[in-house]
Amino acid sequence: MKKYKLLIIFVCLLLLTGCTSNKNKQVVNVLNWSSYIPDEVIKDFEKETGIKVNYGTYSSNEELLAKLSSSKDGTYDVVFPSDYMVELMINKNMLQKLDISRLSTYKNIDKVFLKQSYDKTNSYSLPFLLATSVIAYNRENVNDIYDYKDLVREDYKNDIVLLDDERITIGAFLQALGYDINDYNDEHLEEAYEFYSSLKDNIKAFDSDSPKSFLMTNETNIGVLWNAEAILAKDHNPNIVIVYPRSGYALSMDNYVITKGSTNVDNAYKFIDYLLRDEVCQKIIDDYPYISTNKNTSNYSDEELKEILNNGSYIKNVGENIKRFDRLWAKMK
Amino acid sequence: MNKKSSLEKYLFTIPVIVYSLLLILLPILYVLLISFFKSDSYGGMIYTFTLSNYAEIFNITYIKIFLKSIGIALITTTICLFIAYPFAISLMSKKETTRNLLIKLVMVPFLTNSLIRTYGWIVLLRKNGIINSGLLGLGLIHDPLSLMYNNLGIIIGMVYTLLPFMILPVYSAVSKVDRNLIEASYDLGASKIKTFTKVYLPLTISGAFNGSLMVFIPAIGYFFITDILGGGKIMIIGNLIKNQFLTARNWPFGAAISIFLIIMTLLLVRVYKGLGGKMDDLGGGM
Repeated sequence: MKKYKLLIIFVCLLLLTGCTSNKNKQVVNVLNWSSYIPDEVIKDFEKETGIKVNYGTYSSNEELLAKLSSSKDGTYDVVFPSDYMVELMINKNMLQKLDISRLSTYKNIDKVFLKQSYDKTNSYSLPFLLATSVIAYNRENVNDIYDYKDLVREDYKNDIVLLDDERITIGAFLQALGYDINDYNDEHLEEAYEFYSSLKDNIKAFDSDSPKSFLMTNETNIGVLWNAEAILAKDHNPNIVIVYPRSGYALSMDNYVITKGSTNVDNAYKFIDYLLRDEVCQKIIDDYPYISTNKNTSNYSDEELKEILNNGSYIKNVGENIKRFDRLWAKMK
Repeated sequence: MNKKSSLEKYLFTIPVIVYSLLLILLPILYVLLISFFKSDSYGGMIYTFTLSNYAEIFNITYIKIFLKSIGIALITTTICLFIAYPFAISLMSKKETTRNLLIKLVMVPFLTNSLIRTYGWIVLLRKNGIINSGLLGLGLIHDPLSLMYNNLGIIIGMVYTLLPFMILPVYSAVSKVDRNLIEASYDLGASKIKTFTKVYLPLTISGAFNGSLMVFIPAIGYFFITDILGGGKIMIIGNLIKNQFLTARNWPFGAAISIFLIIMTLLLVRVYKGLGGKMDDLGGGM
């Protein structure tokens, strides 16, 4: 029996140490998109402030929502939801109001990106990075492409990679037909299916993990993918041309928010403040070339940015109607 | 003395009981429970009883996905059987050390994560991959073959990943066949094929069924293989369930499909028992 007692004491001790060790240490719990911030940035922040960053990642807004709602309040302090998820989280009362006066680097944010439809007053969120879907193609092997309709050609058989995302990809088909990206009218969705049928033979794959590698290895000559991926592919092969489709494209803005139950609010502000610094933003977009919301590091003029924002559309939460997209997606595959 | 040993027995089985209850039964019950709920637009659940999730499964779109999955799984299982039997039988004529070494080699891939191994296949199969550039270099083909991002890629991936699950039970069954029976069969003038169908097959059918179950069931659910090697163009039941839990935010429907899949699996086990298979053999292994 003695052995068992010892074992029990040992286990209890283990549990206790688990509970107490972090008490005195400054921490901030961050949950962010996978491959979005270089490790170096996190390490530099820890070195400068002495605050330990507990960094976790997710790969979809839904995963983020599931992680937040299934864990205890205060498990995460700073998270990075996209546009429609910000709206959803505000409605579900999961976020706390931001106090802009606590952010010395707030002035670095380009005004163009503020007051977006999902949080018109920026009470809860501040823009971090903008992703847009684009068409990228290898000009050596295909003709000029300006829009989705240009992809329907017999000689592009098995030559296209699309994002494996039902809202973005079906949304692109809707936009090609002149409808809104968030349209869930059954007839319009049926037309989108017909558009897909005409394009089907040209699609080599649906891939969201690394569509750029299709372009980089010449597996396909055309891709509809996120801007950062397209830019990385272009860095690899200068013959790749990136275009914003004429009939529209998806916008996806990721935002800084602080969770309602956050227990390290001070550190959360410090972390956001740090990420908004010019040199930090630069480091981030060097590695992941999305569109920075920091006006001092942007490669685009204000005019260009306005145009990009105006011609693209945010994916909106369509509530129950997501089932229509999902059923169509299942039908397509 | 007797009391002590029963106490020990008790103590040793507790972890297994706790494990099965906590990590297997409880989650399944939870999945069963939520499959009767409604989903709300935020991906949450409304706690009212409904059977609509089960009714939804019989939508023609989903029936097609089920049939496609079963088709892929059947092809995979058949190919695995056709590879596993000759392999297992030819092993029997090898020296014991060689045999053990070869069986160990079958298990070596388990040391690496199957997702990583699947990514490895991309390097081999893609348009400019090793196989295509090799064949082009040798002048055997003039245009690269489409080896992946289609059904062929899915089947290659499935067979590769699941083959060990077929080889091990088939080998285990074949190795138990009395060598004298085989020799008698040959002595009586039976051909190799006849020996296989009349002697090997009847004696090892439980191993074959065991392996088939272990290949068939995962083949329905391994969504990462259709995603990676099929180019995400084909949805199998695994993809469908994954989508319900992530993009579609419809957990109850996802749960209902999972329960449906469990029922299908149990039915297959039923068939196995009906054919005279023993549940103990399903434990697999050697």
